[in-house]
Amino acid sequence: MTDSDSETDETPIGETRWVIPGGHVPTGSTGPEPEMVSHDKLCVLNTGPEMATLEVTLRYGDGHEAGPYPLSVASERVRHIRINDLIDPYAPPLGRDYAIVVESNVPVVVQFSRQDTRQAENATLSTMGYGE
Amino acid sequence: MTQDILDEDDHEEAGWENWSGSITADPDEILEPETESELQDIVRRCADDGTTVRVAGAGHSWTPVVETDGVIVSLANMTGLVDHDPDAGTATLYAGTTLEEAGTELHTRGLAFPNLGDVSMQTVAGAFGTGTHGTGPEFGNLSSVLTGGRLVTGTGEIREFNAEDNPDLLRAAKVSLGTLGIFTEIELDLQDTYKIQRREYCTNWRECKEHIPNLIEENRNFDFYWYPRSDEVKLRLLNGPGGGTDHDDLEYATLVENQTGWWQETIPAHDDIGREFDEMEYAVARENGLECFEKARERVRENWRKDVGWRMLVRTIAPDEAMLSTEYDREAMTISCIQNADLEHWPYFTDMEPLFREYDGRPHWGKKHTLRAAELEELYPEWEHFQEIRRDLDPEGVFMTDYLEALLEDGSSSEVEPT
Ligand SMILES: Cc1cc2nc3c(=O)[nH]c(=O)nc-3n(C[C@H](O)[C@H](O)[C@H](O)COP(=O)(O)OP(=O)(O)OC[C@H]3O[C@@H](n4cnc5c(N)ncnc54)[C@H](O)[C@@H]3O)c2cc1C
Repeated sequence: MTDSDSETDETPIGETRWVIPGGHVPTGSTGPEPEMVSHDKLCVLNTGPEMATLEVTLRYGDGHEAGPYPLSVASERVRHIRINDLIDPYAPPLGRDYAIVVESNVPVVVQFSRQDTRQAENATLSTMGYGE
Repeated sequence: MTQDILDEDDHEEAGWENWSGSITADPDEILEPETESELQDIVRRCADDGTTVRVAGAGHSWTPVVETDGVIVSLANMTGLVDHDPDAGTATLYAGTTLEEAGTELHTRGLAFPNLGDVSMQTVAGAFGTGTHGTGPEFGNLSSVLTGGRLVTGTGEIREFNAEDNPDLLRAAKVSLGTLGIFTEIELDLQDTYKIQRREYCTNWRECKEHIPNLIEENRNFDFYWYPRSDEVKLRLLNGPGGGTDHDDLEYATLVENQTGWWQETIPAHDDIGREFDEMEYAVARENGLECFEKARERVRENWRKDVGWRMLVRTIAPDEAMLSTEYDREAMTISCIQNADLEHWPYFTDMEPLFREYDGRPHWGKKHTLRAAELEELYPEWEHFQEIRRDLDPEGVFMTDYLEALLEDGSSSEVEPT
């Protein structure tokens, strides 16, 4: 093992602030549920030794902010969070354009995906956010 | 049907508010008497002044059953065990005792409520007042264990009642919204303390729906939550340790919780609900219950997915004879709709309510609904008998507010908005 390898091992990968502007949970679905229900999803990877404590805020086109939704991801774990399932402090409205802002106390990696099953030829989209 | 997020300012500062903040009141006084005679003095003074007096429990009702601009009385100083008889399995409690305190006190004396609801922060008298219930086809609502007690009537007198001497008064008192009088002591017919195993399983509606009737029959207390935004379902099975549906017969579901403890400990574990919500719940005849739920599920999927994330809860209750019990003379299945307190609930609830009414549903007295006396009396065969007893015990209407007048006396002449 070289010095540079061990440094990589010890430094958590990622950033503490992520933004995904393209949110929109389609309200229609086709096919058997819950598997095929349309949804937006955040996948958060925490490679570090500490629990990641996150605040997720949804910012809507009309200026309204939903949240912040408190979430945590254990050390060296990945967690998948469907926007549809958020309930605390309240269920975010679906079917409207919104952006997601994720703030974390430790660096994490955030990926966003959408399952849109409004038509039978179902589509999945996935993208990374912008991190800093 | 777009929901608006309520502004912080919509929740006005007030002297009294219910748990979710959707009901507020600005009473002249909030009083906490220490003794029964102090309470009698308060009621007499209010009767003389023509002031309304309402008794509050823990404020966990979503209907304005406590709201008044007169006097609100709390029995927070009148709590604990009066006496008990372990051989007979009976106990008498002061009426302001919370279900949690009652659970602990009774358990240390070897006694137990046969059933509880989902949380235990309510007072015993308050829970009885609106017909609070748990689940299980063999179990009546919480007030079904009430066998007698003492109440301060509208004229400030003490009235003792029990099953032998005043059976009709007992049947009226069990679910009476604090309109017959203010209970000071309540006598209960209990059972030996017991352990409960709580199992919770995750599945989805497609997988579990055909199993629901069996799950109701095979388990002491069974209920389920349905999640509108995913069609997922959580099944909850409470039984004596090792009892109930065999785990192997639940291969369509994943076990996510399995804990065993004394009966009263299995409930307070759920008292950590941090987020406030508002709720509507209707009790329909059990034989139509699942059909009604299927239609409710379809309506939510159709109209409410984009605005409602909270689960719907389905439970069963045994029939009883309390005049205003939602289970009066029929086995019931209850279906509840829940919305975050920070979101509007009326558009959702008023869209769902006509469906429950098509099934002759009876609304929970402590949860949101829009029914008034004219509609309610159709649902309760002993409606008028209850009102006679109420007028007799409170001739001047010292316990009555505009809301209660509309609810119990004359719904058509009311200006009262849905609350
Ligand atoms: C988080 C939460 C969970 C809930 N879970 C359930 C559940 O599982 N099952 C269910 O059925 N309901 C449930 N409810 C509803 C709740 O149990 C009822 O509305 C109950 O009546 C509230 O009791 P309380 O002590 O808060 O009384 P309050 O809401 O303060 O009062 C209720 C009624 O009782 C009367 N009352 C209070 N004290 C006396 C007295 N000493 N003498 C005469 N009348 C009196 C009041 O005047 C009023 O009419 C829940 C509510 C909340 C907020």
